[in-house]
Amino acid sequence: MANTNDISVSKTFIAGLWQENPVLRLLLGMCPTLAVTAAVKPALTMGCSVIFVLICSNIVVSLMRNLLKPHLRILMFTLTIATFVTIADLFLKAYVPNMSETLGPYVPLIIVNCIIICRAEACASQNGLVVSIIDALGMGLGFTATLCVLAGIRELLATGKVFEITVLSPVSQDGWFTPWAAMGMPVGAFVTLGLLLGLVNLITKKQA
Amino acid sequence: MGKHIKFFFEQSWLLLVASVFFGICLAGLNAWWEPKIIANEIQKFNDLAGGLITEAEKFEPAEVLTIDVGKGKTVDTEVKKALSGTDVVGWAFITEGAGFQDKIKLVVAVDKQFNKLRGFGVLSSNETPGFGDKIKTEDFYRNQFIGAPAEKFTLSKVGDDKKIDSEIVAITGATVTSESVVDILNNFISQVKAQMKEKGLI
Repeated sequence: MANTNDISVSKTFIAGLWQENPVLRLLLGMCPTLAVTAAVKPALTMGCSVIFVLICSNIVVSLMRNLLKPHLRILMFTLTIATFVTIADLFLKAYVPNMSETLGPYVPLIIVNCIIICRAEACASQNGLVVSIIDALGMGLGFTATLCVLAGIRELLATGKVFEITVLSPVSQDGWFTPWAAMGMPVGAFVTLGLLLGLVNLITKKQA
Repeated sequence: MGKHIKFFFEQSWLLLVASVFFGICLAGLNAWWEPKIIANEIQKFNDLAGGLITEAEKFEPAEVLTIDVGKGKTVDTEVKKALSGTDVVGWAFITEGAGFQDKIKLVVAVDKQFNKLRGFGVLSSNETPGFGDKIKTEDFYRNQFIGAPAEKFTLSKVGDDKKIDSEIVAITGATVTSESVVDILNNFISQVKAQMKEKGLI
């Protein structure tokens, strides 16, 4: 029989994926959600960067939670998050330069992503190391999965490809599919996210 | 006074220690990865410029020029000479300017005498997918610059895109981006050419 701690850990993990999914349920991190989901590759890279920053900042905040002065805690969170975002940014520039260029300013902007500071404040500063890591992993995977679904839909409709592999044969290559250029533009991001949010609301309403 | 200093350190010691620790970590990582980042940038420049001046075996720095980009701002651009053995076969440099959505950076290559353009390559741009980003892929647009006189270009919405001259036909649906590229080239080519003549490089 699973003990209470195991249940708490698994609940924390699953919460980030569904009940408290940062994008679909908490509506956090909207800026990268709308900006980098024109294709799956940049969305996945952004998701992995956020997972790295979330896990590292949650570990640091959790370890120093007893030393934090309440009025200086936001400053400490920002300092910690900025450090790991800079590391992620430098890593991408060094080892995945094309993707770093595609993502442009959105990697440095992870510093002001509400998901990270929200988890530091709501979870890591009040819980132990294990729960903080699991929470970061759940939230990060929830964020990444949502970004990839959104990007998959947009890339498919905008270019007929997913992960740069042709799925729907476009008219330009003697196929039947006419790409919807608008899906690759900001309007496509808003429409797809709106429909996805509506679908999630419909599912959760039925479950309630 | 001493009481205030004690209070300050009692409150902020963690912040100070963390700042120093994180700063050292970042400095170390930056020192480790910076050569790789610089090598990536040089590689990308060489790939783009090498694709334009195909006979070039290598590119060597020649001169750093200061270019006026308007509104009282200037940018430094490094002109590199394209070498085939020891012979100079052309010149290449980075240009930049405002696009429709974000800054556009182009690698521009010209012939040895700076009379004709060898073409341009897109170093970075975040133009609208499906429209403005066609400057990276539309051969008809890019080919109009290959062999064109390295002088002032004008943009037109209709015309013969096969004719190589100073009139450039815009990409349909991406007039602003097409115009940005022409403006960037006009601004840099005239200034780089004048400064290179002044310095006796051409």
